[in-house]
Amino acid sequence: MKTELNRLNPLARREFVLRTAQTALGVSVMSSMLDGARAAETAQGGPGSPGFGKAKKVIFLWMNGGMTHIDTWDPKTGDTKGPTDPIKGKGQVDFLGGTMENMAKVSDKITIVRSMSSKTGVHEAGTYIMKTGYEPRGTIVHPCMGSWASNFLGRIKGVTLPDSVVVNSGSSYPGSGFFPPALSPVPISNPETGLQNIRPSTDDGQFQKRLSLMNEFDSSFRKKFQSEDVKAYTEFYDETMKLMKSEDLKAFDLSNEPAATREKYGRNSFGQGALLARRLVQAGVRYVEVQFGGWDMHNNIDTALNGTGATMDKVFAALIEDLAATGLLESTMVVMGSEFGRTPDVNENEGRDHYPLAYSTVFAGGGVKGGYTYGATDKDGRRVADKQVSPSDFQATIGHAMGLPVDEVVMSPSNRPFTVGDKGAPVLDIFA
Amino acid sequence: MKQTTKLFSSLVVTALLAGSAFAEVRTWTDNKGRQVSASFIGLDGENIILQIADGSTRTFPLNILSAEDQALAKSLKPTGQPVMMANASVAQASAKIDLLVATGIGKANPERVKGGKSAITGFNAMANDEQFVRRVYLDIVGRIPNYDEAMVFIKDSNPAKRAKLIDMLLDSSGYSAHTYNYLAEMLRVKDRLDGGNDVRGIPYINWLQKQVEQNVSWDKMVFEMLTATGKMWHNGAAGYLLRDSGMPLDNLANTLAVFLGTDVACAQCHDHPFADWTQYQFYELASFFGATSTRYQRRAPARRNKEGMEMVDMGNKLMPEIESIIEKNGGDLTRIRNGLQQFIGANRYAITDTATNAVKLPHDYKYKDAKPGDPVAPKFISWSKEDKNLAAYKQKTKEEENLRLAFATWATHPTNPRFAMAIANRMWKRAFGQGISEPVTNIDDPAQSANPALLKHIAEEMKRVKFNLKDFMRIIYNTRAYQSEATTEHIAMGEPYYFQGPLLRRMTAEQAWDSYMTLVLGEPDKYKKPLEDLYSKTIDLDLYNPKLDAQTVLMKYAAFRTMGEKERAMMGGGLAEAGGGMMMEGGADSMMMDGAAKKGTPKTGASDMMMENASLNYGGMVLRRAAELEQPAGPGHFLIEFGQSPRNLIDGSSKIGSVPQVLMMMNGRAQEMLTNSQSLIFRTMEKVKPSDEKADTEAAKLEALFMSVLNRRPTEAEMVTAKKTVADNSASGHGDIIWALINTREFIFVQ
Repeated sequence: MKTELNRLNPLARREFVLRTAQTALGVSVMSSMLDGARAAETAQGGPGSPGFGKAKKVIFLWMNGGMTHIDTWDPKTGDTKGPTDPIKGKGQVDFLGGTMENMAKVSDKITIVRSMSSKTGVHEAGTYIMKTGYEPRGTIVHPCMGSWASNFLGRIKGVTLPDSVVVNSGSSYPGSGFFPPALSPVPISNPETGLQNIRPSTDDGQFQKRLSLMNEFDSSFRKKFQSEDVKAYTEFYDETMKLMKSEDLKAFDLSNEPAATREKYGRNSFGQGALLARRLVQAGVRYVEVQFGGWDMHNNIDTALNGTGATMDKVFAALIEDLAATGLLESTMVVMGSEFGRTPDVNENEGRDHYPLAYSTVFAGGGVKGGYTYGATDKDGRRVADKQVSPSDFQATIGHAMGLPVDEVVMSPSNRPFTVGDKGAPVLDIFA
Repeated sequence: MKQTTKLFSSLVVTALLAGSAFAEVRTWTDNKGRQVSASFIGLDGENIILQIADGSTRTFPLNILSAEDQALAKSLKPTGQPVMMANASVAQASAKIDLLVATGIGKANPERVKGGKSAITGFNAMANDEQFVRRVYLDIVGRIPNYDEAMVFIKDSNPAKRAKLIDMLLDSSGYSAHTYNYLAEMLRVKDRLDGGNDVRGIPYINWLQKQVEQNVSWDKMVFEMLTATGKMWHNGAAGYLLRDSGMPLDNLANTLAVFLGTDVACAQCHDHPFADWTQYQFYELASFFGATSTRYQRRAPARRNKEGMEMVDMGNKLMPEIESIIEKNGGDLTRIRNGLQQFIGANRYAITDTATNAVKLPHDYKYKDAKPGDPVAPKFISWSKEDKNLAAYKQKTKEEENLRLAFATWATHPTNPRFAMAIANRMWKRAFGQGISEPVTNIDDPAQSANPALLKHIAEEMKRVKFNLKDFMRIIYNTRAYQSEATTEHIAMGEPYYFQGPLLRRMTAEQAWDSYMTLVLGEPDKYKKPLEDLYSKTIDLDLYNPKLDAQTVLMKYAAFRTMGEKERAMMGGGLAEAGGGMMMEGGADSMMMDGAAKKGTPKTGASDMMMENASLNYGGMVLRRAAELEQPAGPGHFLIEFGQSPRNLIDGSSKIGSVPQVLMMMNGRAQEMLTNSQSLIFRTMEKVKPSDEKADTEAAKLEALFMSVLNRRPTEAEMVTAKKTVADNSASGHGDIIWALINTREFIFVQ
């Protein structure tokens, strides 16, 4: 009974306990029983368990639009086969999509989770749930992982750079959620230009003069209104000034990279974004998300894969090789995710539509096994056949790798209880 | 005794709270024989509180009354709350609110003192004219006053100038822009709707703006939104439900939170953990929307018209023919088809009422009172046992086609226990920075609010003014409480606040941007988005018209595609033209509006750069008020960096700083625009140059600069610093001072 119980995913297990109790005992379940079930399952997580805290840094590659699982990480050869033939990977990574030539070569360094399943086929909701573990609600915004990490681990010591950064986006939504905005990732809309507005529009002498004028003209107001909000602004000004002067800013300057390296990543926003991510984690940034669009392949998936798919393959592989070569891969976990998969059946426009029931995510580095696959879909990639992983579990896995207490309940300012990834269970099996 | 005659001629305050003793208006005599007609409110220690003719309450030392009246006062029962007559004046209404605020402060003090805080001695000091003019412009029209506006008010010696200014601002178009911003944030109004098709929120946005402009009463506006049918471009109010097409339960949770201040979001998935709402109750409410569809189903089941005739979706039927036309003309079908289908698909977004109620309990329903998949009958929620006797609850809930109507009638009914209170509490928060009950989306128990009597009263006031938001705000802005200085004491989150004055608030993103626009344009309300709604004009297809043919669909699609390009083409013009009107002889400031330049050369020397229409821009930023820009603004825009709501959540904006935001304030394009020597601030400084040659020209300029940016004169010390800055560097000194001022906390916080 106990082993069978443990095989159920945590949600199913709680439900199982609940239903058993209701039917067999005819009483409502006391919360302690549920807590017991919960405690049993997470006894495996936490400090000392596989992979806990191994990922000092995370690079999260976000495939915007819904990455087609069947043409990338979970290729099929039957009725739902994509435009290209699958190619062979290394270790347990039996097959990869036909455009994944470079990834095939480094597939001994990755774990593919093929049993992701989510509830929503809407882009915004799907993105939200994959980045927070929570379904979007009209009443609260949940924090993203970079902000959770800042909350638990604090600001990175000795570095003026932000704790977390989102590359290739003007927005970091959902950002810090109900945590203070100071914990929000800093968005970098273009990796080539780095931090927006980081240079003053005047020379340094004049800039300093302006600052001292500002402080003088503002002094009586600040004296009169000593509220937290006003003080917080003054702190933001101080922090921003520190950042403007910081040597660490060089991390944002891609021109410091050899041309060959820049070429290897590819001269496109994703390639240079991934390179920037590597530079940033090297300089101390804890969590970098790099976004790459073009995955909403409703039509002509063949052409789209030759573009978007091939670019992703090249960049991802270059990043893994680079991290491995610089020795960063051990402490840096690279994660690839998307809001959902795409329909196994090709539509009338030679494309695939939104499909949340089954899709894949990929992990590499930071204590993760290499040449490994976890979970599986059925023959045609329609349903999860083994070891279903929810977006909550996915988030909890990343949090676990970063050494966050994913079980710890944090109260929002509105006094509602939340945890990293909405009580998901870390997938411990992917860690070496 | 002027007071007395006035009072006797219009006996305004006679009615009293139900259940309390009658307090008659009588003549009170003091120990010198002077008389006043007033009603007795109560005793406060050695003082007596009387309400006089204008509705205001006055406190007198009890011992100045005649011995007889002193004795009477001691024998009377305090009446507590006076009640408003239907036609009470604004001054009376405001005074009444002040009384309730004062009473609330008195009640709160013992508890405060026990908690180690000092007692609140009364309202904060009256805000001075400089503070007031800036605040009231920001609060009512959503931007700082320009130089002229601030000066006119400050120099005005009319004792009633505050009330006059409030009236003027409430009637200006700035009021509409600012109020729209507030409602758009609350209702999550946006242009680009989720779902990856061509359905856009433009008609809804335009509808909402029009409602605010026409000051349509709140109950009517909400009723329209809840009951609208059809496509959004035929009825903009349909945007409210179509905004959340496919998410009816979320839409309902938001409806309850926004309009009824009731948070049942938890009950969407499980019984509410803290409040009494059950999941079953939530579904009972959802059932009112169960016979409402927000999308035509592309395939089966077929729709039937009123006569029972089957209606054919021509978009589906014509597709093969359309495709063959495209192919014949050498078009790439796989590329065009998707866009075409999105265009056609947008025309399937329409609200219709269906014959069957589709609401069933969710598959994971886990409570014993019903089973998953059970149908649920509609039933209103109530907040107390007596509620169901209220008129709001007398609705027919049996016929499917009337369900939504019943809900809307109940929700917007004056006797709904929460509808008036929810919007009144929100409007209160707009003025004071905090609701009487917080959070405003969840007035769980009014008795637990910071001032229950006040909350109850403003809800009654909202009904008394018939949900006219403008009239309601007029009362609030005329209160002594509102016109006090901002409170300097820090109020921690969750701590009750008693409204001895408004709280210090950071500007909203829209207020900050619109204030920048004021500094650049002078009169930013004159710069509107193009009036023509090209989207609504080109998107419409009647999919159920059997006469629709493939050619027409293709032609309309082509027209729709070119619409976007037209939209983008409708902007131009540069900084030098901005506020040019101020420099025109005879103040021909309409020039900026008309688009095509009138004859006449502005003295800015920019005559040859006149724009073709009203949109100016600087460094890629369109220079219009936030309400006239894309909703919400795009990523990286000043508005977004400054915390504009992405419009995904109710009241989803942020008022907190961030490093990117501060970088933008210090180094971004917007500050560059203001410190640019072509900026309007410089021209204003030139304009005020005194004619007297011996006068201190530089001092006058600097005063104009401070007055433009902070709406106050510089202090002596600031003047010394400012003069020295200009003397040291004549080329950039003024720009440096502007930069410094717009980067102060004083600039971005509303006092």
